Amino acid sequence: MRRAAWLLVAPAVALVVVLFVMPYANLLVMSFFTPATTAPYEPTVTLGNYKVALADSFQWRVLWRTLKLGVLATVATLMLGYPLAWNLARASGRTKAALLVLLLSPLLVGVVIRSFGWMVLLADQGLVNSLLRRSGLAPGGFKLMYNEFGVLVGTVHIFLPFMVLSIAGALENIAPDLPLAARSLGASATKAFWRIVVPLSLPGVFAGCLLVFVLTVSSYVIPVLLGGFKVITTPLLVVQTAVDVSNWPGAAAQAVVLFAASLACIGVYVSLMNRAMRGLSG
Amino acid sequence: MTRSKLAHGAFLLLIVALYVFLIAPIVIVVLASLNSGRFLVFPPEGFSLQWYVKFVNSRAFMRSFMFSLKLAALTTVIASVIGTAAALYVVRRARQSTTLRLLLVAPLQLPGIMTALALLIFYYAVGLGGTTYLGLLLGHVLVCMPYAFLTVSAVLYNFDRSLEEAARSLGAGAWRTFARITLPLIKGGVLSGAVFAFITSFDQFPISLLLGGVGTTPLPVQVFDYLRFSFDPTAAAVGTLNIVITLIVVIVTERLVGLESLYWGGQR
Amino acid sequence: MAGIQLRGLTKRFGSVVAVDDLSLDVADGELIALLGPSGCGKTTTLRTIAGFETPDAGEIYFGERRVSDLLPEQRRIGMVFQNYALFPHMTVAENVAFGLEMRKTPAAALRERVAAVLAKVQLTGLEKRYPRQLSGGQQQRAALARALVVSPDVLLLDEPLANLDAKLREEMRFYVRSLQQEVGITTVYVTHDQAEAMVIADRIAVMFAGRIHQLGAPADIYHRPATATVAEFIGLTNFIEGKVIGQHGALLNVDTSLGVLTCQGSLPSPDARPMLLVAVRPEALRLSAPSGSPPAENRLDGAVKARAFLGNIVDYRIAVSPSVVLRVQGAPHDSFAVGDRVAVTFEPAAAWSVPSREDTA
Repeated sequence: MRRAAWLLVAPAVALVVVLFVMPYANLLVMSFFTPATTAPYEPTVTLGNYKVALADSFQWRVLWRTLKLGVLATVATLMLGYPLAWNLARASGRTKAALLVLLLSPLLVGVVIRSFGWMVLLADQGLVNSLLRRSGLAPGGFKLMYNEFGVLVGTVHIFLPFMVLSIAGALENIAPDLPLAARSLGASATKAFWRIVVPLSLPGVFAGCLLVFVLTVSSYVIPVLLGGFKVITTPLLVVQTAVDVSNWPGAAAQAVVLFAASLACIGVYVSLMNRAMRGLSG
Repeated sequence: MTRSKLAHGAFLLLIVALYVFLIAPIVIVVLASLNSGRFLVFPPEGFSLQWYVKFVNSRAFMRSFMFSLKLAALTTVIASVIGTAAALYVVRRARQSTTLRLLLVAPLQLPGIMTALALLIFYYAVGLGGTTYLGLLLGHVLVCMPYAFLTVSAVLYNFDRSLEEAARSLGAGAWRTFARITLPLIKGGVLSGAVFAFITSFDQFPISLLLGGVGTTPLPVQVFDYLRFSFDPTAAAVGTLNIVITLIVVIVTERLVGLESLYWGGQR
Repeated sequence: MAGIQLRGLTKRFGSVVAVDDLSLDVADGELIALLGPSGCGKTTTLRTIAGFETPDAGEIYFGERRVSDLLPEQRRIGMVFQNYALFPHMTVAENVAFGLEMRKTPAAALRERVAAVLAKVQLTGLEKRYPRQLSGGQQQRAALARALVVSPDVLLLDEPLANLDAKLREEMRFYVRSLQQEVGITTVYVTHDQAEAMVIADRIAVMFAGRIHQLGAPADIYHRPATATVAEFIGLTNFIEGKVIGQHGALLNVDTSLGVLTCQGSLPSPDARPMLLVAVRPEALRLSAPSGSPPAENRLDGAVKARAFLGNIVDYRIAVSPSVVLRVQGAPHDSFAVGDRVAVTFEPAAAWSVPSREDTA
């Protein structure tokens, strides 16, 4: 029993190694193969896929839009998420439980259904526009989806709970005495918030932003449904290339470029945040 | 004093608005499914169950619905067993091994759509073919197992091992100790992991999109295909049904182990 | 510098009265310890003085200045928290400078004052360290420095030594006391540790259930606890219930189930119940062999029921009647064994009377 204990973990490890590590390794290898017309690929090594992925101005524009949407969604989520997190961290007992239910229940509904909810709200003949028209505020209505705005709204909605939980966790870890100590030393409530609470919540902000950015640049359903194929992002392009054009090496190279680009963004971000958080870690 | 009260009121208003934003699309889906018109407009056009009738009469939707339920059930069982076993080993025998822990939750770290693509190409490379039931099931197990692993681990970290030692000192063998002491005490973690796994599988989209085949289309993909080209409130009926099933699962779990354990992995 | 006056301070949390109509005068430069078990309201009192809690009734003055309606940052206090509450994202120097910054102290003066106060608490050289890089004792001194550098009107300390290990805690008691005397600042010191309060305080206010049961110098509190509750909280006490039957000067004769005992005290007022408790500390009781000729006054005969050797003393439990067991602490040399018959005696001056529990409950 004791000697065979590793058997417990063996199935899980096998699952992840065979169906996760190996496929991604395969994807990396695939990105160096040659696209073919009769089969999805031809096993001849080439750098051509990367040349296409990096040289093509259309692909650049798509990548740029993907990263831009990632940054915008992250900033918007942070700005909406911080007040929610602050409110949640200070609640207690039943109120807190109720707020958690409200916050987390959207996570239990699939992304397709939630996107559909936004479609009902944002469509040209949707609820928001019908309200705007009837009230006479905007007789022509607004174009609220099948554009970047719609994608942004859907994205922020889906990832907001992650940001809130991440920041609330950091806020709850701040000893309640710390802002009080600042008050006892003559800081106003506002000053205590900006000088003590905000800096100490940065680790949560950091983690939340990272998560939202990574999730946004790789999201697929929302750009398709709320962008209506008018907002092409790299994940869409990857799937199109792989499934519709059956160019696997090309799709693999695009995926690798997206990973590399988001890693680069994350790298810049991490070094910036590390400077801001120098007393907090370790 | 009045100024700070005003600021406080404005802040509370903002919080309420944000929660409305969070809940709105879900409430809207339910409302749209009961609306008689094609579009939900203001004022509402009237109450109707026609979209539900349309759903039940749609062979494609019903087939996908049943298929998704069965797939999620099977995925949950496999993922829970594998994930629980792995958690037992990692927490008890390899507490220090960060590598092992990171490896087991890695499927949650990379985007599902990329994992799906990698799997599609990989299946083809090993000769499993692109879209088989086995391939789809394994893909689902892959992205659901980490939830079971994480929730059970969370419970096991707080598990007082002297309880097991007490059972052993009273003459219970290793298996009996596991069955009578350990399992009942980590039940909350196992169940909440299973709920997460079930919901993740039932709502799973990217894996299903690329690995689901003809006749084996899970429900979210069926809805997605529908919405891609048309705006049909039948999707709202499906969505409402989906929400109801999720609610039932959550409520049943709550009755069994308490809702907190869903969020905290049975830690509190 | 200023004294502190609390007038009829009351604070409720829901139906719980945490501080109950509490009045207290702290003289200029005095250190008063609020001593009591957890939940007695001592911390709430301190937090109300600091302005973190709003009292439901009552007034707070620092000297002539009424501070009840002021925000914490307007009260000119220095506070040391139980966990020190050092800002983890700031260095020691930045922590200490924070209060001066809030007061818009010019940079040169700020640097000078930070350096001076750090020298005073012997932290020179550690300015650039972060709090987590300091030992418990150093963190404690940094917190003191941060509170003192702004020259506050009053210093408030909330169990400042509770998180230190036992040995360091004893050293820090003397350190905090000498620092406070050097600065001469009016101080309120909250603690649940009676020994700490004895060492550190000019006067001790013993609190139970939101009220001050007794206010006095440490020796008075120990030797003449005003109530049975105070006596029990501060050290060990034997109580014997009885009824006053006579008074001779400062001494009372009390008729108890163990015979007539003589103790210090004054006759209860005529309308009060004549029942009271004779209180006597275990170390004031003496044991002797009954065969000798112990004095007849305040003599109780009994048998050793249990005996524990504690190093510097021996702790006995003596059954003096089927229902009364006395704690007696004696020097290790007068040794009695379990089962020995003994005579327990005490000086009338070493015993005193407190109201019986029904009267104070």
